[in-house]
Amino acid sequence: MIRSRARWATAGLAVTALTGLSACSAADAPTTATGGGAEAAGPVTIEVWGWNAETGKQIVEAFNEAQDDVTVEYVLQASNTATQTNFQNAMEAGSGVPCLVQGFAPLTTMVVNGWAQDITEQVEGSADLYNEGSLAAAQVDGRYYGLPSGSDGQFFIVNQKTFDTYDVEVPATWDEFVETGRELKKHGVDITNMAGEDPSGLMALAQQAGAEWFRIDGDQWVVSFTDDATLAAADVYQPLIDEDLVSNQTYMDRPALYEYFDSGKMASTTTQWWSLTGLQTGLVDSAGDWSAHPIPQFSDAAEPVTPGRTLPSFVPAGCENPEAAVAYSNWLTTPEAIESGRNAETGAVSFPTQIPDPSDYVDEVVPEGLFVDDKAAGEEIIAAQENVIGKFELGPNYDAWFPELQDQWGKAVAGEITLEEALTAVQEFVASDLDSKGISYTVAE
Amino acid sequence: MSVNTQDNHAAVREPVPGSPPGGQPRSGSSPRGRTPRWNWRTAQSVKGASLTFPFLAGFTLFVLVPVGMALRESVYTTRSAGGLGFGGQTVSFAGLDNFAAGLVDGSFWAGMLRVFLYALVVVPLTQVLSLALALLLDAARRRTAARFRIALLLPYMVPGIVATMVWIFQYSPTVGPLTPFFEAFGLDVNFFSSSMVWVSMGNLAIWGALGFTMLILYGALQSVPHEIFEAARLDGASELRIALSIKVPFVRGSLVLTSLLSIIGTLQLFDQPLLFRAVTPETITRDFTPAMMIYDQAFNVGNLNYATALSVILALVVGVASAIIYRFINREEP
Repeated sequence: MIRSRARWATAGLAVTALTGLSACSAADAPTTATGGGAEAAGPVTIEVWGWNAETGKQIVEAFNEAQDDVTVEYVLQASNTATQTNFQNAMEAGSGVPCLVQGFAPLTTMVVNGWAQDITEQVEGSADLYNEGSLAAAQVDGRYYGLPSGSDGQFFIVNQKTFDTYDVEVPATWDEFVETGRELKKHGVDITNMAGEDPSGLMALAQQAGAEWFRIDGDQWVVSFTDDATLAAADVYQPLIDEDLVSNQTYMDRPALYEYFDSGKMASTTTQWWSLTGLQTGLVDSAGDWSAHPIPQFSDAAEPVTPGRTLPSFVPAGCENPEAAVAYSNWLTTPEAIESGRNAETGAVSFPTQIPDPSDYVDEVVPEGLFVDDKAAGEEIIAAQENVIGKFELGPNYDAWFPELQDQWGKAVAGEITLEEALTAVQEFVASDLDSKGISYTVAE
Repeated sequence: MSVNTQDNHAAVREPVPGSPPGGQPRSGSSPRGRTPRWNWRTAQSVKGASLTFPFLAGFTLFVLVPVGMALRESVYTTRSAGGLGFGGQTVSFAGLDNFAAGLVDGSFWAGMLRVFLYALVVVPLTQVLSLALALLLDAARRRTAARFRIALLLPYMVPGIVATMVWIFQYSPTVGPLTPFFEAFGLDVNFFSSSMVWVSMGNLAIWGALGFTMLILYGALQSVPHEIFEAARLDGASELRIALSIKVPFVRGSLVLTSLLSIIGTLQLFDQPLLFRAVTPETITRDFTPAMMIYDQAFNVGNLNYATALSVILALVVGVASAIIYRFINREEP
């Protein structure tokens, strides 16, 4: 499935960045503003760090023109990794720390490293500018350490021609999804693709099922990779693997992947708005055959939810003007700001995933010629954004355990172990890593 | 180094430019602790030594200092202050704990064994193929040799990561040209399968290293005195016999060098498995080779202390392996 594997996610976030993210710094403030007195003391200059090469600067220029209280300087970084390196250096040096940084790692990682400051006070007043998913994603332990940042809600695209050819209904639940897979297999068609290197599909499914791999209980983490919700997610994927109902094409071999997607031999995939341009370019023969649908739900779901995560941008510890950073972030939700991010080359604005109703902008993200019905596809994108969960706590040591999850997932997808065994192994790894790091935790029963 | 006595003699007698008047050393009268006399010999030495300064500065800054920092890093341990991990970290002295842990780390040594077995195949194969190519080039006419030399060196000029990407596309069972090629011979070869991953990486490694190794060996062959060949031919030796009995023994010194470089590179195997990991994730895990494990510990797990300790261990292993190979190949003829 087309999942937000780390790199794709960051690529998408880079685009999201034009609406939601940037960083601001206390660095070259012409007037030193203390406390909340930014307005009183005159314009405050803050630095915003991000890697939005296309429109980062033009958005900032529009902001600087739109008001007189805050002057933002956009410091363009080469990439996600470069941002992290430069940011770590600035933090080590204790100088030149920006005031807003595009999220380059999960928010809890930022908090654990002492990089993000608590901006609850500044954010709470403007919560109504954002949708629920954005607000949820910006919190750790009930406090805002991140700026509300939009998550990309997942929806489901199917090759309608393939479904019609074999007279199969589009599944609405994950149980039906597995059944559909069995039906299609009879015709030599895979229900979807499961890349062996990318466990983010499992993470999304667990998030959708309501899993909490990490939660905070007082002064310790509760680790739970094998709770009922996660096992429900595993129960969807396990038969797909066991009965060989999916393919395992790698993302590394992109030409082969698109050729396969395009061949009609892969019936469906989950995706999100920022993948559509790539799909439009890559899918030539099957252009116009695809239709968008809500992502399948778990049969016992009380209400429809869509998986989706983000790496929120944050205000670094040491920034003296968090209110200026929040003011800039708030401004990014305005129609004026969204319009200022229009890409001169492509003519498109970035999809504002953080605002409560992005429907005015959805036409711009539906590429021409991919879908049977563009309008219906647009509606699915909006619905996916409305129901996006946003928050999926990844705990204090995500960078450490994600490669282990990749290893275990690879083995499970190859049929060497079961998904439950894989998840148990990851949980054991998490426990030993937290032990070695001296972080308190308990493993849920 | 031998000292030219004539020069030495001259140095004593000739006046030294830039030296103070009456600057002849008076034997036995130079009081201890005085700065040695600044004569032209010292000046020459300083001048000569100063030419090495850019290298020494770079070597110090980019090798010695980082090695010192790594050694320092490896004897500490960093832990969270407790609780949720939000309260910062404490660094404490750990002595040799990280090394002790590294010496008994099953994953690390399993990776070491993997690259060792891989090196057992890849290193000799690279040397043999490179030597064969060098001998062929040496037998060819100079002009022809020059053309092939450049063509064979091209892969070496391609950065490792780029080469790996190029080969991944070649290997691709769906869009690559190799699968249909082998199918034409009735062979079903999947370079992406777990069982083929070593072959896929080994082929890529040999392809990349061949040109460079060949060039060094070819260079060494050029310095073999041609009279010997003529003498051998007069004695009725075939070209093959000449190659095996004269040329190969003559380039043994260079073979030692290329083998050592090859071993050092192979034991540090990193970028190829890193990319092939996406292709066969069930086989290539995050700690598949020692270098991959070090990377994972440093940049994913975030345990820089342990990662540097493992780096030091890896460096020692590479050093010992190189020393053994050096002794083994370079031993004196009985």
